This record gives sequence, C-alpha cells and structure tokens, in this order.
Amino acid sequence: MSDEYVIRAEGLSKKFGKRIALNNLSFAVGQGQLYGLAGPNGAGKTTLIRTLCGLLKPDRGAAFLLGWQMPSTRVRSQLGYMPQDFAVYNDLTVLQNLEFFGRLYNLRRSQIHQRADELLELVRLSDRRRDKVGSFSGGMRRRVSLAISLLHKPRLAFLDEPTAGVDPKLRRDFWDYFNDLAELGVSLVVTTHLVEEATRCSMVGFLIAGRLLTEGTPEDILSQTSTANLDDAFIELQEQGEAVQP
Amino acid sequence: MTSLGIAFNVLRRTLSDVRTMALIVVLPLFFVLLYGNSFSGTYSDLRVIVVNGDNGLVSVRTAEYGRITIAADLGSAFIDALDPNAFTVEVMDDSEAALAAVGDDVWAAIIFPKSFSNAIVNEAIRVGGQQEMKIRGYTATLIPGNPIASPPTTLRIDDSNPLIASAVLEGLNTAFASVLQSQQSALVMESMLDVQPLHEGEIKMLDFTAPGIIGFAMTLITVMLTAMAVVRERTGGTLTRILIAPVSAWQVTIGYTLAFSLIALFQSAELFAASALLFDIRFVGDPGVVALIVVLFAIGLQGIATLISTLSKNEAQAMQFVLFLLIPSIMLSGVFWPLETMPASIRPLSYAIPLTFANSALRKSMLKGLGIQDLGFELAVLGGIAFGTLLLSVVFMRRQAYRA
Repeated sequence: MSDEYVIRAEGLSKKFGKRIALNNLSFAVGQGQLYGLAGPNGAGKTTLIRTLCGLLKPDRGAAFLLGWQMPSTRVRSQLGYMPQDFAVYNDLTVLQNLEFFGRLYNLRRSQIHQRADELLELVRLSDRRRDKVGSFSGGMRRRVSLAISLLHKPRLAFLDEPTAGVDPKLRRDFWDYFNDLAELGVSLVVTTHLVEEATRCSMVGFLIAGRLLTEGTPEDILSQTSTANLDDAFIELQEQGEAVQP
Repeated sequence: MTSLGIAFNVLRRTLSDVRTMALIVVLPLFFVLLYGNSFSGTYSDLRVIVVNGDNGLVSVRTAEYGRITIAADLGSAFIDALDPNAFTVEVMDDSEAALAAVGDDVWAAIIFPKSFSNAIVNEAIRVGGQQEMKIRGYTATLIPGNPIASPPTTLRIDDSNPLIASAVLEGLNTAFASVLQSQQSALVMESMLDVQPLHEGEIKMLDFTAPGIIGFAMTLITVMLTAMAVVRERTGGTLTRILIAPVSAWQVTIGYTLAFSLIALFQSAELFAASALLFDIRFVGDPGVVALIVVLFAIGLQGIATLISTLSKNEAQAMQFVLFLLIPSIMLSGVFWPLETMPASIRPLSYAIPLTFANSALRKSMLKGLGIQDLGFELAVLGGIAFGTLLLSVVFMRRQAYRA
C-alpha cells in the first residue's frame, strides 16, 4: 500500500482482556472515498475507529492518517470525529456547543456561524439552535453531534453510527450529504450496523469479530455473493466464514 | 486563548447549573455556620455537684494572741468563683449521693469537708511562711503549722471523655486559684511566673481552628467539583472531542485549572468573609498572602482531583476516591489535633497531605500576620505540589481520552 491512501491500517490487533476486538486487520481508504464499515454490534467497528483516530493504542500493527502514524497531533485539525456517544454538552444550546468546539479548531466567530447555518440546515435543527441540547431526543442529539464533527470542514471524517435513531428521510439526506462531501474530496469512514445502508458507500467493508470479512464496492460484493442486497450478502459471507471455521 | 475558551466553557456550564451553583455558594456558608457554632473551643453546661460541708471557720496560731479563730467561708467563695458560663452547679448535702451521681450526666462532684477553710488557710500560711496580717484593726503575726496529712477535698470526676474531664479540671483549678489568691499569693502560679502571652490571649480556639477548617472546606468542594466535572466530561464523550481537536493536553489542563481555581478563589473569599463577619475570626495577615496560599493550594487540589478522575470509571467511584483524600485530611493535617500529638511513625503521612501545609501557612498568616518571607517553606511545598500535580494532570489528561 502506498501513501496515496489517506487512511492506512496494517495488521491492527487489539484485545480487551480475553476478548479480541481487532484481529490482524488491514485496510485502506483513498481520498474522496466514502467507506462504509458495516457489521453487527460488537464487531469491532468503534474500536477500529478509535484506534485509527489515535484514541486507542493497538497491541500490534500501525495506523497511518494522511501519511502520519497515529497517534499524531499533526492531523488533528484535519480530522472530524463523531463518537457513538452523543458527546455534546446537554446544558448548552446547540449554538453554544458549536461555538465552543469551533473555537477549539481556531474558527472565527463568523466562520462558526456560517458553518452552523449550513450544518443545522442539513440536520434540520435551524429553528432549535438556541435550545438547550438536554431537551432534545436521542436522534436530535446525534444530529447535533454530527454537525459538531463536520463544523471545521475536516479532510477526513470518522462517523460512528451517525444514522442511529434518525428517521428514514433524514437518514437519506445524511447519506446524500456524505456523498456530496466525498465528491468534494473529503474521505469518510462511516460505521453502521444497518448493513443495507452501506449500499450508499463507494467502498464497503464487512467487519465481524475484529476481522474484515470482505471489502469492495457494493456491486462487487453483491456479484461476489450472488445476492440481491447487502444484508443477504453479509449473511452469506458470515455463514461461509462460520463453515470454514474448525 | 484555547485554555481561556475551555475555562470559559467550564465556568459557563458550572454556573448555569442551579444545583452546582447552590453547592458553590451555599456549601461554604453552611461550613462556616457549622464550624462557627460548633468549634468555639469553649465548654458550657458542664454539670457539677458541690457538697459544701465547710463550717467557714479557720483556727490559726499567732505570735501575739496565741490561737485565734476567724471566719473565712472559702467553700462558698469557691462555688461563687466557678465560671457560670462553663458550669451548671448543683449544691447538695448528701456526699454519698453526690459521688454516686457522677457519670450520669454529672461530670464531677466536689466534697468540701467541715474543715475545708481551715485546711486551706493553714496550708497557705505554711507555704507562704511567717507573715503579718491585719485582723479587725489589730496586727497579728501568723505562725506556720505542720503540713496537712491529706488533701482536704474530695473530687470525683467522670474521665470517660478526656477532653471534657480536662476542661472540668481546668475550670475547677481556675476557681481554686482565684480563692487561694485571695488568701495567699504564694500558692498561685502568677505570683511565681511572669506570664507574657505573645498574642495577649486574643487568639480564641475558633480562630485557631478556622484556617484549617476553611482549608478543609476548600479541599472538599474543589476536589469534588473538579473530579466530578472531569469524569462527567470523559464519560459523556466531550473530553474525547476536546482531546481529538488540535488542542494540547497542557491547554486543556490549564483551562480546567483556571476555571476551578477561580471557583476556589471565590469560595475561599466567601469562607473568609463569612467567618470574619459572622464569628469575628482573627485575620491580621495580608489578604494578598492569603490569596497566594489559596491559589497554590487550589491548583494542587485541582491536580489531585484530575488524578482521581483518571483513576475513576464513573462519578460514584470518583466520590469514593475523594474520601481517601478527605479522611486523612481531617485526621492528620493538624486542623483539629496538633501534629505534635501524633506518634512519630504517623507524622510523615501528615506531611504527605497538602492541607497540612495550607493549614500551617494560613494559621501563620491569619493569626500571626506573618508575610511571604516567613512562609517560605509552606509556600515552596504548596507550589511544588501545585506544579507537580499540574504536570501529572497533563500526562493523565491525555490518558483520559484513551480511557473514555
């Protein structure tokens, strides 16, 4: 693999006690790619994202972002991260949350407000910008979290389950927006446990028990498994994997 | 600027929460009211029983008139001399019943025999030596007699509470000294010693305990607030967001330190003001020096709280760790008991507690008015703790993200 990839992981392994979270996992994401990381709960998606971001140290292997081995402080300003938790201040308003995190990325007040207008329009919270986040439902808080993650126009974004708890229409809008960002050259890694959602990605990786079951474009995977949708493809691959297990 | 932004965010969030604000504003006042009313160091309503069998007659030998008998009701004088603020005196006739009552809400019983005045006066003459005395216009030379065979008075005391027993004994001694002084100055300490209290006796027990209690209140509130806030940030995921931004662990730590040090300063100002206004606590030191002590102490506490938050998985665990700091701070820092009363084997533990040095520095400044030049050791230790824990906080702040 060369550094034309913005994300490169080589032989990542991570254990929590006796549980293997990542099992010698290697993969790469190119610039402007929308990479969907699909798999059931506990497959290792969040661990992989946290390791790539430098929030977890792998037991073995290495991760490189934008050519820098993680953890590195050099890529932080170009990195967007949406954790699976809401990770928002419930006692602040939407705008206050955006202002605080925007300042951490050295954005000027006018820049923050301009981006806030765009992103709150996307997540349909424009009219709630002055409401405290604590009064929001789980899905709404996730939308605030997404807006914060993309506020500083990152080159590379890791979005952990951004569509969980979001209604179908808004979910479709999110995926449209992710594709728009990818077209602008932003690389995105988006995790989802709703495998079918990954059809909206340019690349898909199926993760199970810390291993990449397969990866490719959605079309490649469907053709490889001779299935009609990614849900079926995933089940087929999972069963094949189990069949070859001793 | 990033640190200021983080500090502003912490302050804004802390101050917007009504319950936390109440904790910040009300808890120091609560502390002051409690200790001001409970740690006065003076005793009251100590029940004692006096059986006054004294006949008030004194028989003395004189050179001019031989043995004469004079009236000197010292038993009654003793009862009158007992401090009415400290003692509730009950006079009884039955000695047996009085002695039996001790231990049942009665701290002491004192039995004056029939010859009490006689014994006291003759002992005073013996100790003081031959001397002249005016009796009804005549001058008589008093001749010392033999020492008395045994103490003329019986005192039974309930020593189940050594502090109260000691206070009762001190009160009775004071009353005795007052009675004896009226008879023979040679028997009282003041006639033998030229006592020169350094602070003219102006330092009350409450003044002595106040600096330590204020320091303890700061420890409790600052450590609790900081540890809980950092744990909440971590478990809520916002700390991860902060640490993944282009912000150094230094900037984050300085931001937190700024915010919580400001809160600690506000609270300590409230503690000092309320103590001075409500209980007239002695404060002869330079407020600037006290502020310096408070700031160094608060930074150290904030650092310790950050370390506690690193060790804690959640807020409940943080509270448990806070107790490991608070309990030794109460027991070993010299706030309530002087370090000199602790065994040598325990004392090193006292010197591992920041409150020991904050308490010592605050006492020296508030009670004695000592300046920076006299507080070099305490300020150096507090500064060292502040700097050391700040460094460790930076290291552990980054690890908070890994633990989130």
